Amino acid sequence: MNLTSRFRSISRRRRLLAATSIIAAGALALTGCSAGGGSTGDVKKLTLWLSSSAAQQKGFDQLSADYKKKTGISVDVVNIPYSGYAAKLHNAAQANALPDIANVPALDPIWKNKLIDLRSISGKSSNNINQSYVAKGTGGTTLAIPSDVTSTGLFINKSLWEKAGVTFPSSPDSTWTWTEFIAAADKVRESTGAKYSLVYDASPSRLRAMIYEMGGKYMQQGSDGKFSADSATEKAVDYFVGLNDDKTMPKSVWTSGADPSALFQSGQVAAYWSGVWQVSAFATSITSFDWASVPTPAQPVQAADVNAGGLMVGFDNSDAEGTAAKAFLDWMYEPAQYTKLAETNGYLPVEKGLDITYDFTSKAALDAFGLYNKELQVYKPISGYFLQAQVKWALEGKSFTTDPTVTEIGKAINGQQSSADAVKNIVAGYDKQVGK
Amino acid sequence: MSATGTAAARLTGARELGARRARGRLNHYRFAPLVLILVNVVLFAAFFAWPAVIGLVYSFTDYTGVGSFHFIGLSNYEQLFGDSAFYAALGRTVLFTVVVVPTSFVFSLLAANLMVDRFAKGKPVAHIILFVPWLISPIVSGVIWRWLFGENFGLVNFVIESLGGGAVPWQSNADLSLMVVVIAATWGGTAFSMLLFIAAIKNVPVSYYEAAALDGAGPWRLFRDITLPSIAPTSFIVILLTTLNAMKEYALFQSLNNGGPGTSNNLLVQYIYQTGFQQGQIGYASAASFVLMILLMVVALIQLTVNRRTERRR
Amino acid sequence: MTATTAARATRKQPSAPGTPTRPRTRTGTRQLGRTIRATTLLWVLALAYGFPLLWFVLSSFKPAGDLFSFPLSLLPKSWTVQGYIDAWSSFNFYQFFANTFLVAIVTTILTVVASCCTGYALAKYDNRWLKVFFVCILATTMLPTEVMLAPTFLVVRDLGMYNSLAGIIVPSVLTATGVLMFRAFFLTVPDELVEAARIDGARELAIFFRIMVPISRPIMLTLAIFSFQWRWNDYIWPLLVLNDPNKFTLQIGIQSIVGAQNINWSVLLGASVIAIVPLVLLYLVFQKYVMNADLNAGLKD
Repeated sequence: MNLTSRFRSISRRRRLLAATSIIAAGALALTGCSAGGGSTGDVKKLTLWLSSSAAQQKGFDQLSADYKKKTGISVDVVNIPYSGYAAKLHNAAQANALPDIANVPALDPIWKNKLIDLRSISGKSSNNINQSYVAKGTGGTTLAIPSDVTSTGLFINKSLWEKAGVTFPSSPDSTWTWTEFIAAADKVRESTGAKYSLVYDASPSRLRAMIYEMGGKYMQQGSDGKFSADSATEKAVDYFVGLNDDKTMPKSVWTSGADPSALFQSGQVAAYWSGVWQVSAFATSITSFDWASVPTPAQPVQAADVNAGGLMVGFDNSDAEGTAAKAFLDWMYEPAQYTKLAETNGYLPVEKGLDITYDFTSKAALDAFGLYNKELQVYKPISGYFLQAQVKWALEGKSFTTDPTVTEIGKAINGQQSSADAVKNIVAGYDKQVGK
Repeated sequence: MSATGTAAARLTGARELGARRARGRLNHYRFAPLVLILVNVVLFAAFFAWPAVIGLVYSFTDYTGVGSFHFIGLSNYEQLFGDSAFYAALGRTVLFTVVVVPTSFVFSLLAANLMVDRFAKGKPVAHIILFVPWLISPIVSGVIWRWLFGENFGLVNFVIESLGGGAVPWQSNADLSLMVVVIAATWGGTAFSMLLFIAAIKNVPVSYYEAAALDGAGPWRLFRDITLPSIAPTSFIVILLTTLNAMKEYALFQSLNNGGPGTSNNLLVQYIYQTGFQQGQIGYASAASFVLMILLMVVALIQLTVNRRTERRR
Repeated sequence: MTATTAARATRKQPSAPGTPTRPRTRTGTRQLGRTIRATTLLWVLALAYGFPLLWFVLSSFKPAGDLFSFPLSLLPKSWTVQGYIDAWSSFNFYQFFANTFLVAIVTTILTVVASCCTGYALAKYDNRWLKVFFVCILATTMLPTEVMLAPTFLVVRDLGMYNSLAGIIVPSVLTATGVLMFRAFFLTVPDELVEAARIDGARELAIFFRIMVPISRPIMLTLAIFSFQWRWNDYIWPLLVLNDPNKFTLQIGIQSIVGAQNINWSVLLGASVIAIVPLVLLYLVFQKYVMNADLNAGLKD
């Protein structure tokens, strides 16, 4: 009995150990071959990473299909979720597994040396690319070209404004000032019983827009590398903090992350400061009231915060792959293809002089895009300042991972510090991350 | 193995038994425990010890995540201990932990008891209802609880206002906001502790209850005098794990109030994120993480000692 | 609260000598009272926990515009499954389900085996090094995962597991929770059981595999549920380790619905419900075993 039981026990133990090690070995065998290892010779496949909604991936899927028809090279479009995208690129660089082409939110110093020079594309006159939004490196190289530009802008709940009988401008030539706008919005709120006059995205770019419009320049880096804020900026910040009094604007958006888009969509708010990317969402999701895009206020500067919706870059993984990647980008920026991309994805174009017919069904959306395109023509160059600054920092090897603006302004709105202190802290935060 | 071998083994076994009895517990078996823990030792070395050493090295440098770094000795730690925001985060973390651990413990134990109670009807459905919250990711949980306790359009405020009260600032008031997180954390964490308790309660020998019931003990006394002491090891684990998880909480705060209002609800991990990783100060973040680890170690050791003393008393 | 015993006690009463027989009516009323109390309490709790869930599920059937409408509504004004349809088509659900299943199952098996062995060793053997290792295992819960991400990634890369499912499976096998659970359980197993087996001449590992493992089945099942859920909801780690979109796991797909600027809530809610369903089904199967297990740690004959 003992003999057999011991034998059985050993066998079972060995059996279990064997099973475990087989599973483990099997798991390890799933390692397979890691990505990377540039192939010599003909390149048949390129990978393109982006992070976008399913709707905006369609434009790139279409490009990929057309390119395959034209050249036979297949471009794999991989959609990476936004909230880990930058980390993923960073880690992929460390693992030597970068894609060939990518639509990135910002440049990361860790892979800046692997970028392909795109100056032949950005400089081509037939492309007519707006040079103030091109990411330039040292020595005249072009590191990245925006896939599209985004602009901050103002939306209103048209139904409420019409109910209150308050007028609003319809064209950037006759735009209003901030004081006029807030007064009008307050009037709408009081006469219709809406909850708030304005909700404002909790984002430094939206705040920058207001500051530019009030004549400030926000965080500027002096020649000594240190940051400072001018007095117009401080005044504008103070004005903004004052607006967050739970009557004109709710405190909870900037202090604890309440969703301003949801607030606006509930129909209880007269106006919403956000940007062009909301248009396609609003076109389908706002059904209970009429909305409209209105010109941004100017006091007295006409500007907004214009950024790249994404930066197209090519990675030089190997000679063959690098050349193939550049060829794809070259083809993509030709006006014929780029127009199609802008139409499918609802992009504001980085190329000038294109004739784009968006395929929105909602008139409000079409009007909104028309307005944004018009405004882009009249905005002052300060609008592109931050885009260029970010490129500069990346080149210097500094990463601006998080803007302290929202936290510090949130603290000021919450009463934890004065707005002057908030500005001081923001300056300090900038100095620490990207100052010299 | 031969037959004589078997007999010899039996003899050795008996002799060993005697020797062991003299020595008390089973402390001279080396081979068996080593084999048993081997896999975990290897995994620990590869996926905890090695990265932890890397992190520890970083904490003495000014590493920014890219490029080369220089050793700066203890200055990260000095900076940490001089930062008032760190102490604020620490205080808030302790407050959160002290509130959420007992709440979670009581609710999970209550739920577990009801699940095992033969008199409760409708257990299978209730079981699922209590389990699903644990499956929900923090983002979705954030939406749900913001909808309930939203300041502007939340259900609770809606009900309060329709009953004639004033809207309660669930998000603008730091302490109320913390309370909402406690509720959300309890709601989501109950199932985990409940399952542990169920397994433990079912492990208590029925004969104990029978003996006590014959003496005329009612349900509360049965619970207090038999269930509670018998599930003590599990209670210890639940308290320990809930404490550790509460002190490391980050995702739930992020989705519910983003550390707000302002930064008044920043807990330690969010502090590490904001001042460390998000500003590219990897060295500083690593230093803060190790201080957090030491804090948690102290808490765990205290709980271990208290537990051992209670075990010995029994 | 432990009514199993009370029920048995009442059944035993007529046969136990010397015990005063209680009139049936009073016992019946007491039972009824217990039933009412327990059931009410249970359902109050279930309603409190279930109400937010109800909103969650009902909202997934609302069209996007209704989600934040004012005044608030619990029930959808118009029922729609558009959110689900959009969610299903927004990424390759089948492939991601398969990948996540594979990772979850393999990890769960390995985790349960490893934790069971380690928990037993820590509970039944007295050794200074074992105590040290126990503290080491506890230490693994003390560095938040977000903090460990970057160095662990370097380790995974150096071990050649980048862009493979093994890179997700292997680092997740060690879990302090699992070890703690098994250790606590085996602590309640009386030493006499082990010694009795030793007297029979069984070797240590044989005792473990033939006696201890079978009786720890409820703990194994509980840990299996936990481990499965952890791997099912893992997001940032698979995102960093996997490059090939054919290997992506479920949460990566769901997170891709969360855009940079705005979130399409109706799609997100639909996707979340879809992702939860397999876990609930799995739980329904497992909990039957956990609830019906009648363990008495081998002391009964």
